[in-house]
Amino acid sequence: MNGKSTKLVGVLATLAVWLLTVAPLGAQSRGATLSGTVTGAGSAVAHAMVTVESLITGESKTTETDAAGRYTVPDLAPGKYRVSVSAAGFNKQTVTVTLSAGLTHTENFQLASALSLQSLGFSKSQTQSNSKEQALLNKRSHMLQIHQKLGLITAIPMIATLVAATQAGGRHGSPTGRDVHMALGAATAGLYWATAYYAIFAPRVPGVKTRGPIRFHEAMAWIHGPGMILTPILGILAEQQRNKGKRVHGMAKYHGLVAIITASAFGLALVSVSKPGWIPGLEHHVAALFPFHHRDILNAARRSQASKAGGATAEGRK
Amino acid sequence: MKFHKPLFAKIPAVCALLFLALPALAAKQTGWVLEKSTLTYHVVHPLHHVEGVSHAARGKAVCSNGECSFLIAVPVKSFASGDTNRDLHMLQITRGAQFPMVVVRTQVPEAALKSSTIHANLVIQFAGHTADFKQVPFHLTTHGDHMRVKGNIPATLTDFKIPAPELLFVPIKNQIPVSVNMIWREVK
Repeated sequence: MNGKSTKLVGVLATLAVWLLTVAPLGAQSRGATLSGTVTGAGSAVAHAMVTVESLITGESKTTETDAAGRYTVPDLAPGKYRVSVSAAGFNKQTVTVTLSAGLTHTENFQLASALSLQSLGFSKSQTQSNSKEQALLNKRSHMLQIHQKLGLITAIPMIATLVAATQAGGRHGSPTGRDVHMALGAATAGLYWATAYYAIFAPRVPGVKTRGPIRFHEAMAWIHGPGMILTPILGILAEQQRNKGKRVHGMAKYHGLVAIITASAFGLALVSVSKPGWIPGLEHHVAALFPFHHRDILNAARRSQASKAGGATAEGRK
Repeated sequence: MKFHKPLFAKIPAVCALLFLALPALAAKQTGWVLEKSTLTYHVVHPLHHVEGVSHAARGKAVCSNGECSFLIAVPVKSFASGDTNRDLHMLQITRGAQFPMVVVRTQVPEAALKSSTIHANLVIQFAGHTADFKQVPFHLTTHGDHMRVKGNIPATLTDFKIPAPELLFVPIKNQIPVSVNMIWREVK
């Protein structure tokens, strides 16, 4: 093959490619035109690739948008076309259009950013603001903060009542000691029930399973709650028996024991939410109290230990 | 000139190939997808050291013209510290129902993703406020088309105007650093 014939082959090959790809689309004498603009994130998208594919012949043409986001594809045969637009940073968009001979069809595209919360697969309910739930959380937190503060304040007269009990009964008991003990006991009961009110009536958040030390805190309420009803009743009975000159007997003699159990449960409830680590193996005690959820609690305990030991590790999505 | 003949003969074919392939090359978009993640916030109180962990982050990056734009988002609700009461309080104080997502955006040069450390400028939306974190260092480890990103974001409560929650009348520390451990997969 000499130089001339090589040149000829090259020209023929280029011509063949042109004939096969571009010529059939542009050969229409009264072709249709497709034009429009491509926008995204509120502005024109330059250099977006616009591909027009005939649904009849399968032939396609590609063009690029200009700086103003405009594109034009002239000389198209009438018929149905699939038009797709792609641009860096945006989701690809495809539409089907029908073109008529001699007419210009305008098709504008508004591309969605490829980097949006929706593109990450989050549902609308996950990303949407919920002011009603926020109001519920605010009320709940407000009430529980009061509960927490009142609980701490209640601990002061409670301890004082226990201390004053040494001057109320037994060999060292005196009428004044009993009066002081009763007054402190009444103050404790009043504060206790005010504290309880803010916990009992704090709104619950629907669909939230209770986990962690708060379960132990709540479990203790089943001990100190009834205890705070029983202790004053037994105390009054004991006082009445003593006023009649009798020895404290029957149920009344358990007043002190019930009071100590009540105060201990109250103290543990306080410590469980203030510093769970102070109660060794708290998670396991909770697990024993609530066997149905023990796995959750133990997992939380293991996670806490693991994070202390080694920091963050990629454990995969839940 | 004998040696140049075959080369010369191939030019039209190469041109034709380029002509056909150019649109496809121009439309090509590379990026990254977040596959796994562990995000941990650390809260310090004189009586406690609390950690809240989330594995629910999702992320995507789109690379073009040598720049990669990253978007990472995680629901505030997904952080669990092992105590429901504390998590609900955290949700309330960070206004997590009103602003349910923590959204992180950053732009990194594509070439920087091949190094072992990058310093990223992060824009974080959280609790209804946006805060900028400049030059946050992250360690990168690449295995094939996967990349592990580890680092710490030095966040504080004041960055997002979050009132410090109190326990026993004592507020928590202002620093709430967030440990990041993510595995990204390259998408071509």
